[in-house]
Amino acid sequence: MTVPEVSTGCGLLLKITYFGKTSFALEYNDTTVLLNPGIWEGKKVVPNDFSARIIIATNQSDDAVGNAAKIAVNSKAWFLGNQGAADKASKKGVKPWLLHVLKSEVPYEIPDVKITPYSLARIDETEGGRIENLGLYIEIGEIKVGYLGDSVIRGPFEHLEMDVLIVPVGGDGVFPVKDAVSLCIDAKPRIGVPMRWASMDDPMKFSKYVEQFGQGTIPIVMAPNQTLEVFWAAGNEFRYELN
Amino acid sequence: MSERKKVVIDLEESEKVELGESSELTKVDASGVLSVNNVSERSRIWNVKVVLGESRESTDIDEDTLAAGEIDVGGKWESNYGIAVGAPILTLKEVFDTCGKVETEEPHWAYLFGEENPVKITLTVTNETDGELDNIILNKTIPPELSNIEIVSTKSGVAEYDEGTKQLVWKDFMIYPRESSELVISATGVVEDTEIKKAGSVVVTYRAEGQQRSVLNPELSALTEFLTGIETAETEPNTWTCTLECSNESDLIVRLDKAEVFLTPEDGGEKQKMIEEAPGVELEPDQDWNSSFEVESKSTPKCTQELVYTPTSELKKRVIGSIEKGSQEVPVYRIEYSKEFDPPSVSSFDKTPVEVTIEVKNTGSARLNEFTIEDNLPDDVMPPTNEHITVWIRDEEYTGPYEFVIDPEDQDPEKTHTLTFRVEDLKDSVGEIEPGESLKINYAVMAWRSRPEKEYPSPVTCTANTNPAGLPAVVSSPEDGHKIGVIYKKRAISTKKAINKGAGVGEYVVVLVVANNGEVTAENIQVTDWIPAGFEYVSTDPEDEAPEISTAGDGSHMVWSWTRMNPGDKKKIRVTVQGDGEYERREPEVSSI
Repeated sequence: MTVPEVSTGCGLLLKITYFGKTSFALEYNDTTVLLNPGIWEGKKVVPNDFSARIIIATNQSDDAVGNAAKIAVNSKAWFLGNQGAADKASKKGVKPWLLHVLKSEVPYEIPDVKITPYSLARIDETEGGRIENLGLYIEIGEIKVGYLGDSVIRGPFEHLEMDVLIVPVGGDGVFPVKDAVSLCIDAKPRIGVPMRWASMDDPMKFSKYVEQFGQGTIPIVMAPNQTLEVFWAAGNEFRYELN
Repeated sequence: MSERKKVVIDLEESEKVELGESSELTKVDASGVLSVNNVSERSRIWNVKVVLGESRESTDIDEDTLAAGEIDVGGKWESNYGIAVGAPILTLKEVFDTCGKVETEEPHWAYLFGEENPVKITLTVTNETDGELDNIILNKTIPPELSNIEIVSTKSGVAEYDEGTKQLVWKDFMIYPRESSELVISATGVVEDTEIKKAGSVVVTYRAEGQQRSVLNPELSALTEFLTGIETAETEPNTWTCTLECSNESDLIVRLDKAEVFLTPEDGGEKQKMIEEAPGVELEPDQDWNSSFEVESKSTPKCTQELVYTPTSELKKRVIGSIEKGSQEVPVYRIEYSKEFDPPSVSSFDKTPVEVTIEVKNTGSARLNEFTIEDNLPDDVMPPTNEHITVWIRDEEYTGPYEFVIDPEDQDPEKTHTLTFRVEDLKDSVGEIEPGESLKINYAVMAWRSRPEKEYPSPVTCTANTNPAGLPAVVSSPEDGHKIGVIYKKRAISTKKAINKGAGVGEYVVVLVVANNGEVTAENIQVTDWIPAGFEYVSTDPEDEAPEISTAGDGSHMVWSWTRMNPGDKKKIRVTVQGDGEYERREPEVSSI
């Protein structure tokens, strides 16, 4: 779906790039936040030479931390994560002065970006049980993005005002489609983006259900390497463009 | 008075007509027998010729004249011929309407399975000629699936139905030129299988006296016992009277067409025609006819004669016809349906999208032109919007016109909704649904906090019809059918409380930990804790979780409300209070759905 170019406010757009699985990059005003550059079945999703200012892993699993250390080292980026993720990144070579441990509900701020983590959980499919997974509420420029990482619970996100909500839908230790849809219904973000699907049926169903029951939320299924640009035109009209 | 006998030329022509199951003409054969009947009791006829001339053109007769030779007393000579015709002189139309109660331009052509079909049979015979038709007898075979046969009306004649032979006979009537007669029968048709039925054949026989299908106009030429001679009598010297005398010696009427007498002059030379007559007179048996002239001659005049006569004839003709109408095939319409939920069951108190698929299959033997599916959603289910339906016909997505109405037109999950899908005139889009084919619809609904103690039936009614539409084929579930399964998931909201000393004097920190330890998402959770009199609320950590404070008789209440807690969700709240006295402990109260 596209919207017409606008002459005002285009310089303040947020560019969201999807790499596949749970990996996204948020670019705003020369600041790039890379989320969960995981490694899946030995394959990295984001190239090592990707340049970011901040890299965040929402949990310590390989599919979240992945090659974050290499990217962080190459681009001298900050690595953010909960204690488990930070420990893993440290072991993989991230310099201590570039590590920052995120605490639940304690915001992390740099110019243009405010990141508030919330302690959620995911199912650890190898060890069993639950491990902490951070859900991120990212205020970047004028855009508010909710990113649930590999979460199987929603925490406070149903109460947060979000322009874009990125949710897992695969059901493999994370939200199944129904819970992702249910969160969109309750939270009413302007845009709902599925990620981490087990089969292509998942995002298609997510899209179908959100469109029907989301009561205003627009589902956008992104393909790897696709970008979504979102911005407030003239400061009060929310617009987006999927490339 | 004796009967005046004339040779009879008889044209008996017959037509044999075959009609298709829709009364369309499929075959018409016509043939005839031309016969010459010598009705004489004592006189044979010979040198019999039947002159047809150009009138034979509509037949397969090769010669203008047929030679019949000699025909003895009471004898007969016959010749068969074929006739080229395009249509019969009597037409039959049968309208077998399987739903006579519903007026439509075209009749209904299929039985509804398992129901009483109000059959109406209309038989119309039309005289296409300018003469009368009579001796009409119509036989209709009534098929075994029909009962309660009643003669509704007959325009003329008598119609009777014999239950034993299953035959209906309509007879004793005639039809005036260019007019029709009609018989209307009603019956009840009940079929208990879907095999194609037969509507029963119709046979009509009729007779048209004085009519013919060919245009043959035969004329007879023959000889019979007929005396002729010339009497020469001298009336004065050398003056002679010559008389040509003819006498009909037969018992037939003989017509004398030509009488000529030639005289040979005494001195030779060319003969002179002395009598030249074309009397055209018809001579009764034993009747004479003569003609004479006078001539002067020294010797007896020499005369010769030339006569043309023939027994007279009369033409009798008729057409005998028969029509056989093939039995119309009557298929049977029937539908069956299936309805599935995916997933078939939902977790209690959760919001779960459920795919609803309803397939209606044509299990009869007739084509179907329209379908209606009425699905009833219980409460605690959010319906789809009306653009979110997918339709398949023959397993291919259908994008033609249809109607999908949701009543009431909202997505309020607290109400019941009726979803009505209707597609008509498939014949004009993708074609009618043939036997064995199906129509399928799919849409998603959202099970909305289904309660485990409650039942959620979602009955469905499917309807189909033919073109033109008659009685609808209806198949319904029981009123409590198609329940959306609810899997009971245990709810377990735990609250733990600790009262710790705060930093300052009279300050306490109340720690509340609320956790959803159950298997299902809890909604509308409300936790209430009590602050004793003498103490006041100061702050909450985290600040977002500040409670609503209300005054109670013996202190104040702190109330937290959360919309939803997923399994595993936990909230830890630290409330700072300050005051004087002993901080009495009461357990917090929690409620949710």
